[in-house]
Amino acid sequence: MKRESVIFTFTGKIVPDSFIAFARHRAARLDLPLALLASDDNSVAVAVDGQADLVDAFDMACSLGPHDCIVLDVERAPASPAIFESRNERMGQ
Amino acid sequence: MSLQGWYPLVLARDIAPGTSAGTRVEGKEIVAWRDDKGAAHVWEDRCPHRGMKMSFGFVRGDHIACLYHGWQYDTAGQCRYIPAHPDLDVPKTIKVPTFGVAEAGGMVWGNFDAEGEDAAPHPDLPGDITPLRTVFADCPAALLVERVPFTPLDGIAPEVKATEGRIIEIRLGDVTLIAGIQPVAEREAALHIVAAGNPSNDQMKRLAFWAEQLRRDAEEAAANEKIGEIAA
Repeated sequence: MKRESVIFTFTGKIVPDSFIAFARHRAARLDLPLALLASDDNSVAVAVDGQADLVDAFDMACSLGPHDCIVLDVERAPASPAIFESRNERMGQ
Repeated sequence: MSLQGWYPLVLARDIAPGTSAGTRVEGKEIVAWRDDKGAAHVWEDRCPHRGMKMSFGFVRGDHIACLYHGWQYDTAGQCRYIPAHPDLDVPKTIKVPTFGVAEAGGMVWGNFDAEGEDAAPHPDLPGDITPLRTVFADCPAALLVERVPFTPLDGIAPEVKATEGRIIEIRLGDVTLIAGIQPVAEREAALHIVAAGNPSNDQMKRLAFWAEQLRRDAEEAAANEKIGEIAA
């Protein structure tokens, strides 16, 4: 299956700690390495890399988000695999 | 509540190859299923995808498939195939928690200790048995066991001997019964009963009626206890 490296930017009413923990859990469950790129009270940007269907599953899971966050918009952009090496934050490994 | 040691889950006779049965131990939902080669498996009764009970699923060869979206799991609990994504190499993280399993004395046993692989040896029970039946009762397991000596058969009071762990031996006239005690929930219990040796059909029929009487007696005692608690 085709692999994808994607940067997701989730915006809305975000509680960063809660959302990041949620995203990390879902990435680990899907066996996707995750790199946290940026976060504030309105948005969280993460990069994931893996089989396209699993990346889509991550997209869907995080679109719903944890109970205390409301995701209003998701931006998706191609990522360089180098992001994961520089951040040294591989999850679920 | 943490579960320790071996728990009887179902009479071995009652799970044919290619079928599954859902049950609970202290409220924890468990599935016992048997693959087409006859090996029994004891797992958490929950598909990691959407939480559907695996016991509602279908056994196909040595896989069990979830009823909801057809995700297929091998005998180690590892998801191997997702019908909606046929080309996906399913990650190892998508796995159903599995537990220790053994068959002894005509019953399937599960072990839920954290180190299931290094669990204590399963109960040592005779193989020369005839399965009688499982009795489910709406009462605590301790009460169900407590009522056994007070449920006579043809005027004969049963003699009860606790053997080990969750097993009792019941002497009823010239027949010996072995019962595995399953605490299903706080106020629900099951006794999986087998007879030693090979009693006649007539004896088995009378014993089955006795087991039913035991259930009624225990449930009545539990109801009376509850009324007493409310009155107090």
